[in-house]
Amino acid sequence: MAEVVLENICKTYGNSFRAIRDLNLEIADGEFLILVGPSGCGKSTALRMIAGLEDITSGHLSIGGRDVVDMAPKDRDIAMVFQSYALYPHMTVFENIGFSMRLAGKKKAERKKRVDEIARTLQLTELLDSKPANLSGGQRQRVAMGRAMVREPAAFLMDEPLSNLDAKLRVQMRAEIASLQRQLGVTTIYVTHDQVEAMTMGDRVAVMKGGILQQVDTPKRLYDAPVNAFVAGFIGSPSMNLFEADLSRGTLQTPGFSLQLPETVLAERPALRKYDGGKIVFGARPEDLYDSTLASGRSHQTVPAEVVSVEELGSEHVVHLRLDATPVDSGDPDAVEELGGLSNAVARFEPASAVSADSRIDLAVDCAKLHFFDPGTHLAIR
Amino acid sequence: MTARGPKANYKLGRQIAPYLYLSPSLIVVGLLMLLPMAMVIAYSFQESAVLRPDTSFAGFRHYRAIFGDEVFWASLWHTLYFTVASVVMHMAIGLAFALMLNSDRISPMLRSVLRVLYILPWLFTQVIIAVIWRLMLDPNGVVNSILVDLGIIGSKVAWFSSVETALHAVTFANIWAGYPLFMVSLLAGLQGIPKDLYEAADIDGATGPQKLVFITIPQLMPIIVSISLLDFIWTMQVFPLIWLTTGGGPIYATEVLSTYTYKLAFSQYNLAQAAASAVTILLISIGLTLFYIRHQKAR
Repeated sequence: MAEVVLENICKTYGNSFRAIRDLNLEIADGEFLILVGPSGCGKSTALRMIAGLEDITSGHLSIGGRDVVDMAPKDRDIAMVFQSYALYPHMTVFENIGFSMRLAGKKKAERKKRVDEIARTLQLTELLDSKPANLSGGQRQRVAMGRAMVREPAAFLMDEPLSNLDAKLRVQMRAEIASLQRQLGVTTIYVTHDQVEAMTMGDRVAVMKGGILQQVDTPKRLYDAPVNAFVAGFIGSPSMNLFEADLSRGTLQTPGFSLQLPETVLAERPALRKYDGGKIVFGARPEDLYDSTLASGRSHQTVPAEVVSVEELGSEHVVHLRLDATPVDSGDPDAVEELGGLSNAVARFEPASAVSADSRIDLAVDCAKLHFFDPGTHLAIR
Repeated sequence: MTARGPKANYKLGRQIAPYLYLSPSLIVVGLLMLLPMAMVIAYSFQESAVLRPDTSFAGFRHYRAIFGDEVFWASLWHTLYFTVASVVMHMAIGLAFALMLNSDRISPMLRSVLRVLYILPWLFTQVIIAVIWRLMLDPNGVVNSILVDLGIIGSKVAWFSSVETALHAVTFANIWAGYPLFMVSLLAGLQGIPKDLYEAADIDGATGPQKLVFITIPQLMPIIVSISLLDFIWTMQVFPLIWLTTGGGPIYATEVLSTYTYKLAFSQYNLAQAAASAVTILLISIGLTLFYIRHQKAR
């Protein structure tokens, strides 16, 4: 087990494309860190640089206190789980898991003991003689985990290991990996583009965009206090609703409605006063927008909204709305336009809500939970 | 007579349609391959086959004759040596060149040039190859000149005319002519091996040679086995290259089953014995083909 430290890590490809810029991260011994971001943000490149599969253009990388920049992957004391699992198709499960021990010249009896032990932990004992082609996605995933575990590495590196599984199995494996990591206590760096995985599995989450680290924090802090509009929009599903408004004497003014900010909000964010008389970006999480007819007892203001569609999920209704306000792009390249531009906001209503598509409603907004961003830099205003 | 309903007609149509589609090729194969094969098998059991109209049944006499002929056994041994050496070397050279052409360490430009150069032998017919190597391996040819100049041999060697060297020389010419098939097939196979298998092996601690043994060769094995079996079948039947370089000589030193059979038929006009020898080649080829089909099915 070991601490992994990245200092000013940069990656520039031959065509001058800068995949990673000045990445600084300290991953504590035994920590489970998630690297998350949209496609092309550099998260997999960062992981591959830690593994030694990509050269580091500049910067320092240490694992367990050893500078590993010029070390071969095998000497870095890491193990990796690939997105495709990269199981050797011509080898059995036993051979796949024990391959690194075989290369290290370990005796067959020793290999068998260790592989059997891991197979028991991962419930693979019955499958040791099978080839990867005869395994299900979940079983292959477990074999890939076993192959990583057998090395007893200082750190596990996982590159989107659940992305090839169906939704149900992914939920199950998510829990299994998180629990296994806690049990083993091995430093783990896990890459995903799925922010649900990021929020549910890791001790901390590092959000990347365009090769630049945006924020690294606990899942709760990322959700509650995003440093910029990108993190605000990327973390959370459905995404945070972002709109442009004029701020004037504590009132947000959009073309179709105004919201009076509570004194507490202004007191908690003294920087907001600098924006008085100018433009500002404000954000509301879908759960902070609700059906005003069910909002009794909650402090809220209402704004007029048109219901475009309602997705009844049983536990909640996801309501797509059209507000008379200008939406702001968070900068997530993977984001899809809301229902082809018909709606510009999403809310999560209680299942008791009776709203229906094509109706006009009074939408309740919890102004105490609004987020604010600079309209130029998109940085959070605090 | 009962009238057939549209349902029955449709069913019958579906049943015979595949045979109708296959029939042109089946007719061609039947007339040009199966019929001559059957005739050759029949000749091998006849006295004075083809040459005289009043033939009689000879039983296995011709087979006993060729199995009792020392030249036949020498031909069989030469065929085996020629084929095994050719296939093994085709595979080794083809794999080495394919690995080189697949390597990132060579610039794409150089790779394109080498790819064209390495594939050149495949463009030549057997006649051209025979002429090229007869000229190159002539006692006054370029190979002798170079070897003498380098001091590797003391005096010029008649590669195709010496009993000691003739079989090795024709085998060498055949190796040169045949490796591109392996090279191209293995290169395609190499390009199909997922890169992450090598990355996983890197992390598992594999060295370059270990990756070749544990990843590359097992991944290429289906191609290696398929192409080797096909090459074995084709090489065993090579005739023009040997006929045009050595003619099976000197003193039967390069006699192989195909030249042995040809000579029986068209030099000695012993068509019945030639047919028996041809049937022997056919049986060996069928054995290899069955092995090949079984391997393909197993895949």
